[in-house]
Amino acid sequence: MIYEANILDNLSQFFMYTGFANVTVGHILMILIGLVFIYLAITKDWEPMLLVPIGFGIVIGNIPLFAGLQVGVYEEGSVLNILYQGVRQGWYPPLIFLGIGAMTDFSALISNPKLLLIGAAAQFGIFGAYMLALALGFAPTEAGAIGIIGGADGPTAIFLAGRLAPDLMGAIAVSAYSYMALVPVIQPPIMKLLTTEKERLIKMKAPRAVSPTEKKLFPIVGFLLTAFIVPSGIPLLGMLFFGNLIKESGVTKRLANTASGPLIDVITILIGITVGCSTQADKFLQWSSVKIFILGAFSFVIATFAGVLFVKFFNLFLKEGNKINPLIGNAGVSAVPDAARVSNNVGQEFDKTNFLLMHAMGPNVAGVIGSAVAAGILLAFLG
Amino acid sequence: MKKYFKLFILLAVLLSTTSAFAQNISDMRLNEVVVTNTEGFEDDYGYRSGWIELFNTSYGTVNIAGCYLTDDPNNLTKYMIPKGDVLTQIKPRQHILFWADGIKEKGTFHLNFTLDGVKEILFVSADGRTIVDKVVLPQLDTNQSYARKVDGEGTNKQESFVYQSINKSMKAKANIDDPSVEGWVVCANPTPSTNNITLDGVSKGAQLKEVDPYGLFLTISAMLVTFLSLIILYFIFKRIGKFHIQKKSANAKEATKTVANRDKADTSGQVSAETYAAISMAMHLYKIDNEAHDFENTILTIHKESKSYSPWSSKIYTLRETPQVNKRK
Repeated sequence: MIYEANILDNLSQFFMYTGFANVTVGHILMILIGLVFIYLAITKDWEPMLLVPIGFGIVIGNIPLFAGLQVGVYEEGSVLNILYQGVRQGWYPPLIFLGIGAMTDFSALISNPKLLLIGAAAQFGIFGAYMLALALGFAPTEAGAIGIIGGADGPTAIFLAGRLAPDLMGAIAVSAYSYMALVPVIQPPIMKLLTTEKERLIKMKAPRAVSPTEKKLFPIVGFLLTAFIVPSGIPLLGMLFFGNLIKESGVTKRLANTASGPLIDVITILIGITVGCSTQADKFLQWSSVKIFILGAFSFVIATFAGVLFVKFFNLFLKEGNKINPLIGNAGVSAVPDAARVSNNVGQEFDKTNFLLMHAMGPNVAGVIGSAVAAGILLAFLG
Repeated sequence: MKKYFKLFILLAVLLSTTSAFAQNISDMRLNEVVVTNTEGFEDDYGYRSGWIELFNTSYGTVNIAGCYLTDDPNNLTKYMIPKGDVLTQIKPRQHILFWADGIKEKGTFHLNFTLDGVKEILFVSADGRTIVDKVVLPQLDTNQSYARKVDGEGTNKQESFVYQSINKSMKAKANIDDPSVEGWVVCANPTPSTNNITLDGVSKGAQLKEVDPYGLFLTISAMLVTFLSLIILYFIFKRIGKFHIQKKSANAKEATKTVANRDKADTSGQVSAETYAAISMAMHLYKIDNEAHDFENTILTIHKESKSYSPWSSKIYTLRETPQVNKRK
């Protein structure tokens, strides 16, 4: 009898440790969101490299725990907490940028450098969202971190959120990556709305061949210039341009292969899973998260508007034959290469022979530089 | 030999510099001093005595173990800060207090001298020669301190060599010929182990919200800076591109000219040196190395190239159908 009582007591005590005893509606809701992410990634193929780790991270992070188990992402010393420091302290984003640099071919930009300006114009999405966030009552630092969603650059968003508004990190990161996955849905209607039939049919000159010397000079000059203007962006800009230099130098192939292959894959896994884990229901399910999601959508819309309208404006000053197809304006956001692919797809809807992909890659990679510069500026003003 | 000698000199200079300024000792500053303490801060033993506060001006941890504090310019190694105490690692922008009670047996932070009648205090690096910082004390009343207005900032008439020559930004502030002391004040209320000046605590963001509640000015400024950065980059690469195109066309012209000259040479019946070289090489390969052969084995070997796989770059792996919104009819 005593044994039975003991066993029952143990079992009931153990039950209290289980997730079933500690589950809340919030946990269930977040697990469902995580599963939706995984579903979208697997069945719809929407940014699977990001949504699968983030989705599964959301599921991991929302398994109900009792406090003190030392396994939660917010419990100091736990494995997840240690991995999360890469996000919290901003170690992962520069490493991701290193990989991006080692993969990116800046030829399209070097051959037609005026496309850089489209990358600058699209950054208005960041600052437009910043103003909206201020109007909604967010503090300037929070508004800055939310605004960076408009840069359409996950690592940059995480980097800045970690510095300016760590409490909003989960919502900002998930929002940034979600909208990056939705670029093919968000952008085309805006692009069509803002352009005329004639503009969509503009055929751009084929980009000229870029010499290896130009490719080697680009990361060096690009870094020196941008870093001197915005030193606070050094972690991102330095790694981006360094990655590109090891790719283009031609003498560090092994380093470039590592940076663009195993390294970025490892960091992508870590950043995805830990960002997902950070969305614990009690931290994530708040009214501010809803506002952040709405603002994130606006920031993408504003960025697309700004990019397309800037090209139309820029065309006023360009000679016939040198004009830019405004359909590549959307690529100024730095969702590489999705935004460029959207330009190409929309362009081909109207002219099957008009291939805009290479042209759109110019503003697309300029957007990466632009968003890193914008992050540096926000950090300088608000950090 | 001359080259090795130069290398040796360079290494020697580097090593001496490293030993003198290891762990950025030059970032340490004497920050506040109380000579006579009867009503203020107490040490861990519950006693009051004069104290010296050091401040780490850098954003990295500095280990001051092995450095010296002294009140005698002729004896720079009067008190060596003991090694092996983790507390001698001073965190970024943090303070550390030394009790001038003359009883060093009390622990690491108790000096072997007192400040009665002391005219100056020196902080000396671990080599026992380099004066990192020095302060000449004015006449102080009981419980008054002599402190920098802002922690780590300000200059003294007799700032150390390190301070003047190594830290260029500080050098600009230091005026050796100016007899006045800048940035040091006598305080009625000493602030041991804390900031000498308490900032109002208003963050940059809060300040910005006051002057720019709608974020308009920040937006305009930030967009200007973003455009400026990329416009400059645009102009630079436009110039580089033009230069490259000019060079390419010049090279093409040169090549055309060379070919024309060669054709001209061929028609005159002379064989160029390059032709002889090519024939000689082919014969050499055939005869000696058996490199040239008339029969090709027609086996084609295909090496599998590894593809970098990531959502950010891989155009191949990320090419997929655009997600479509299904409309119900």
